[in-house]
Amino acid sequence: MAAAMELRCWGADWGLPSVHTDSLVVLAYSRFSGAKLTVSHIDWTWKTLTGGLPELLCGDSIVQEPTQILSFMRKQRFNADYELTARQGADTMAYIALLEEKLRPALLHTFWVDTENYTSLTRPWFASRSPFPLNFIVPSRLAGMALSRILLTKGEAPLHRISEIEGKIYSDAKECLNLLSYRLGTANHFFGNSPTSLDAFVFGFVAPLHRASLPSSHLQSHLKQLENLTHFCDNILEVYFSSDHPCPLPLPPPAVQESMDANLQKLTQLVNKESNLIEKMDDNLRSSPQHKPHRLDPKPSLSSANSSTPA
Amino acid sequence: MSLAAEAFVSQMAAAEPWPENATLYQPLKGEEDQILLSDSASSLAVQTYLRMCGLPVQVVCRPNAEYMSPSGKIPFIHVGNQVVSELGPIVQFSKAKGHSLSDGLDDVQRAEMKAYMELVNNMLLTAELFIQWCDEATVSQITRHRYGTPYSWPLNLILAYQKQWEVRRKMNAVGWGGKTVDQVYEDVSQCCQALSQRLGTQPYFFKIPTELDALVFGHLFTILTTQLTNTELLERVRSYSNLLSFCRRIEQTYFESKDS
Repeated sequence: MAAAMELRCWGADWGLPSVHTDSLVVLAYSRFSGAKLTVSHIDWTWKTLTGGLPELLCGDSIVQEPTQILSFMRKQRFNADYELTARQGADTMAYIALLEEKLRPALLHTFWVDTENYTSLTRPWFASRSPFPLNFIVPSRLAGMALSRILLTKGEAPLHRISEIEGKIYSDAKECLNLLSYRLGTANHFFGNSPTSLDAFVFGFVAPLHRASLPSSHLQSHLKQLENLTHFCDNILEVYFSSDHPCPLPLPPPAVQESMDANLQKLTQLVNKESNLIEKMDDNLRSSPQHKPHRLDPKPSLSSANSSTPA
Repeated sequence: MSLAAEAFVSQMAAAEPWPENATLYQPLKGEEDQILLSDSASSLAVQTYLRMCGLPVQVVCRPNAEYMSPSGKIPFIHVGNQVVSELGPIVQFSKAKGHSLSDGLDDVQRAEMKAYMELVNNMLLTAELFIQWCDEATVSQITRHRYGTPYSWPLNLILAYQKQWEVRRKMNAVGWGGKTVDQVYEDVSQCCQALSQRLGTQPYFFKIPTELDALVFGHLFTILTTQLTNTELLERVRSYSNLLSFCRRIEQTYFESKDS
């Protein structure tokens, strides 16, 4: 057998084995493929200063980045993807690219840039897990890295301002969640009956958003409406991680009228999109004092959706 | 553009049909070659998409096209009194005017299409930018000269260095800063392999040509027909024969028959 593998990652909280997206991806994949990892949380050590988490140590080699760690594990013959056809493997790559491009900026924004979430949840959590004096440095450094990543990839030069692209990244993220929900349908996993690397990636991205107690997040409330994704996360936690956590979640009763639920789901997604659009238009109009009042009343189609949205 | 402005523009766009004098702007191509690989690929993708929809557009070359664009990215189209840049917003814009290629797809297929488009953007486009701006050989021999062609010294050097610095920052932010050129070629191979496996023996990625076909054609055709310092990238793409015949097919259907 291969040499013992050790994974360094951020610690556990909120009912998850780790709060960090990339670490969760690797942990989930290791459970799916049956690899035995010794997990060492780096909380309370000086290792929190070095970036590049999660890290896999095997013998002499150190591997970083989830995709590289996963391919390293595949070479060690821990492969959760061997049953996939070539086309499904191609689909996996495509969906992972979709997650990285559309969902990651919004997640970074929700946890690290949005002031309310950052000050009340993320910063205290990371600060409390770092030794003095790193608890002053580490959270703000991670927040700075998150902001620069969002601005450089999504910002429109030359005006690198976060407020202009907030609306866009959140609408992209909601669309991405909707697309994942359509693709998952009513199945338990994305391909067949056993989990694969795509399941690991989706779990890693979606689970912190699902479980963290964020004070203000419309992305989280959008996720809560996509029941198949939340069941997906809960299912994986229940089946693969329940031995670590003594309080398993009760499985929700099976959906009886599935087609009606699917239609209701689509309707709520549409209404949510429309109401979000109206909110943003409203905010924009209110914040621009010198706007000439010509042709600014919303079109009839939007206003009828407004009246049908439950307040 | 902000979300509300986009919604407003699309409402206004729906009111007018596609005019005859729509123009697409890109950097100089032909006599004074200013356009780079990545910009040429994006521009060709948009042109292909518009041809697939049957929408007439004139291609105009301007040296400052990048600065005219509302988002700083090439290409952009000027239709009526609106300016829209990049393939994604252009697809939405033409959809608002009633021309869409992907209406026949169901939700799962549309999810797949978007995922593959992101794959191309994430891997192929980033790899093209990396090779152009972060590989020393290519930068010094090709890119710097081309980028500053329409300007005189020292402006051409200053602009080239500025753009290089910007692209390097972006590469570091997405984690490609530490990669070597060989790793990037490997990534391109994997991306082409995924596309090739998805395409299989079908003529298009889905039953009808969609914006995904336009995007893939734009990038692959440009890679196949552009000369770089070495032919490594070309060889890697060429090793997938179904992608080659896909490019040839689209070229014959949409470009050769229309040219007189």
